[in-house]
Amino acid sequence: MLKSKFFNRRNVREALSGYLFMTPTIVVLGVFLALPVLYAIVLAFHKVNLLGDVSYRFTGLKNFVRMQDDERVWIALQNTVQYVAIVVPIQTLLALGLALTLNTKIRGRSWFRVAFFLPTVTSSAVLTLIFMWIYNSNGLLNSVLSFFSLPTYNWLGDPEVALKGIMIMNVWATAPLFMVIYLAALQDIPESLYEAAAIDGATTWEKFWHITLPFLRPVTFFVIVMGLIGTFQLFDQSYIFSNGSGGPNNATLTIVLLIYQYAFKNLDMGYALALTLMLAFVIMTATLVQRQFFGEESLD
Amino acid sequence: MKKQVARLTCLGLLLLVSSCRSNSSDTNAPIEITLSGWQSNPNESKLLTKVINEFEIKNPNIKVKREVINSQYMDVIRTRLIGEVAPDVFYLEAFEAPTLMKSGVLEPLDGYIKPDYDIKDFEPSLINAFKRDGKLYAIPKDFSTLALFYNTTAFQNANLKQPPETWAELTQFAKRLTVDTNRDGKPDRYGMGVAPELPRQLFMIKAFGGTLVDQQNYASFASPNGVKGLQLVIDQYRRDRTVAQPSDVGANSNSEAFGQGKVAMAIEGAWAIPYLKDTFPDLKFATAEVPTINGKKGTMAFTVGYGMNRQSKHKDAAWKLIEFLTSKQGMKSWATEGLALPSRKSVAAALRYDRNPLYAPLAAGAKYATIWQSGETLPTVMTSFDNQFVSALLGQQPLKDAMQKAQDTANREIYLSN
Repeated sequence: MLKSKFFNRRNVREALSGYLFMTPTIVVLGVFLALPVLYAIVLAFHKVNLLGDVSYRFTGLKNFVRMQDDERVWIALQNTVQYVAIVVPIQTLLALGLALTLNTKIRGRSWFRVAFFLPTVTSSAVLTLIFMWIYNSNGLLNSVLSFFSLPTYNWLGDPEVALKGIMIMNVWATAPLFMVIYLAALQDIPESLYEAAAIDGATTWEKFWHITLPFLRPVTFFVIVMGLIGTFQLFDQSYIFSNGSGGPNNATLTIVLLIYQYAFKNLDMGYALALTLMLAFVIMTATLVQRQFFGEESLD
Repeated sequence: MKKQVARLTCLGLLLLVSSCRSNSSDTNAPIEITLSGWQSNPNESKLLTKVINEFEIKNPNIKVKREVINSQYMDVIRTRLIGEVAPDVFYLEAFEAPTLMKSGVLEPLDGYIKPDYDIKDFEPSLINAFKRDGKLYAIPKDFSTLALFYNTTAFQNANLKQPPETWAELTQFAKRLTVDTNRDGKPDRYGMGVAPELPRQLFMIKAFGGTLVDQQNYASFASPNGVKGLQLVIDQYRRDRTVAQPSDVGANSNSEAFGQGKVAMAIEGAWAIPYLKDTFPDLKFATAEVPTINGKKGTMAFTVGYGMNRQSKHKDAAWKLIEFLTSKQGMKSWATEGLALPSRKSVAAALRYDRNPLYAPLAAGAKYATIWQSGETLPTVMTSFDNQFVSALLGQQPLKDAMQKAQDTANREIYLSN
């Protein structure tokens, strides 16, 4: 019965026309997404010479073994993980906080929404340049710090604080995007639940803890995963910050910056692609851990 | 309205058709060659445009398309070479030349050079920078050495009459030139600016007989002799606190810090002279040869050449352009800007750079300068050095350990990439 239905001519025709409609997308995605990904995976096992006489030499796992001995990979990984571990929680909490504040009926809240959202729609290159002025030794931040008699730093030149500078900048720039997502999710929570809770005598805190947060769980999962992926791929800020070197003393070296250096400075495409696969693997693992943590049922 | 649309469409079609025809049938159409480079300032660009116009008048069948790439120039060129869409003629820094010469993407130029071009007129050391296995791959367009720039006002205020002649003297001068006017414990003007980068520090490595790389192009700068020269800089920064990095004083570059008067001395190249004059017209400064270290003179020389793409479809036209730009006449008309010194000895003499008080120390440096170039491994060596040298400068680790670490990292990477 089922089989005959499956081979039903009408069904086949329907499926065919369905695929026909999808062909443009399949072709575009195939050429610009699937093929490059497959090509990257294949090349990661080769030593590639692109300049002059193009040559590919199969090297097996050599590119991956090389990673273990490459001190800079570990530094970059450390920097990136440190960056993710600090930025993602802060930006998520900040986004949630901002969204909750703006969801209350305060005066001029549309104005606040626009003001908070502005950094997100500004290009990150422009933001970085503005922040480099703020972080300048004689810049705004140090003036403010010294006004309050706090210690000042050479934000751009001191390895101890260079990465922190980028963290502050990124939190400031991306938190508003997630704020908007939270804000939209907050509109979806039925008012009746709060009313019922109020009748039962729940405090504001209990309402937040038992109604708002559970409802925001899928959105939080989304926000954290997007934050993870975005922060693991940190590149432009640290690139502009250090002029592409990852300095001072590797302090702003991230995995993607390292990949860039190997691919375009040293033209070592095979190794760069192996690093890319490693990064993809790290991001996937982190996402899976998140998923485990949040539980699957909350997704629907 | 409808009529107008129809008319416009007709016009568009006509244009399309006619442009197609001119492309396909006209065999005498001028050939277009592309020249890529960077641009340091608007005046330089104006002069180059003028020289190119002269070239186009002389060669009416060649059109030159100029393309300015200002950011990450070599990355762009390398990527385009790989994609086979590289320009016909492009600027090539001596430092990047070995990789490109080795990979065979550059056209050897020996076959094009005619006797009346007078290749012997070029500084031999500059020509050698673009040679590999006896073949010449680019013609040096200009060069600059480094010289000591000093703020004459600051020198007068500190009762210093002459620029320092030895590094010991320079260390003393730097102490006297460091002033803290508002007494907040942080100098408002440092004695000297330091650029903690290998291109600016290589001659310090060589001062006591150290070497950057060994015969197999593995890094070797961490030898006791190599570290000895660099230690002088570290001592000034850490012990005397009389020198500053650009970022310490809130500047983007050493020359900017010098121009703003935040450092009284800086070791810079010819390109800084037009920049300082344009951006800081009130600044009073002079130049001198880099002070001697260990009783020997030393400085760096940076050179840029014109290279030709091996894939170019119009090699003869490309050579004609290179020939014109580096001919005695062409070089003379565009080297007047003073961003760099002409690579032809006759042009340098004719423009009297050796008599100009600002340029004479730079010209004199050519005799003993170390050319900023090494094998294909230089980018790796440099990244590693820069990274660790800064950390030694900031006092995170002793210089000796930092350099050893930098050398080991570089060598491991070189070994693994082979």
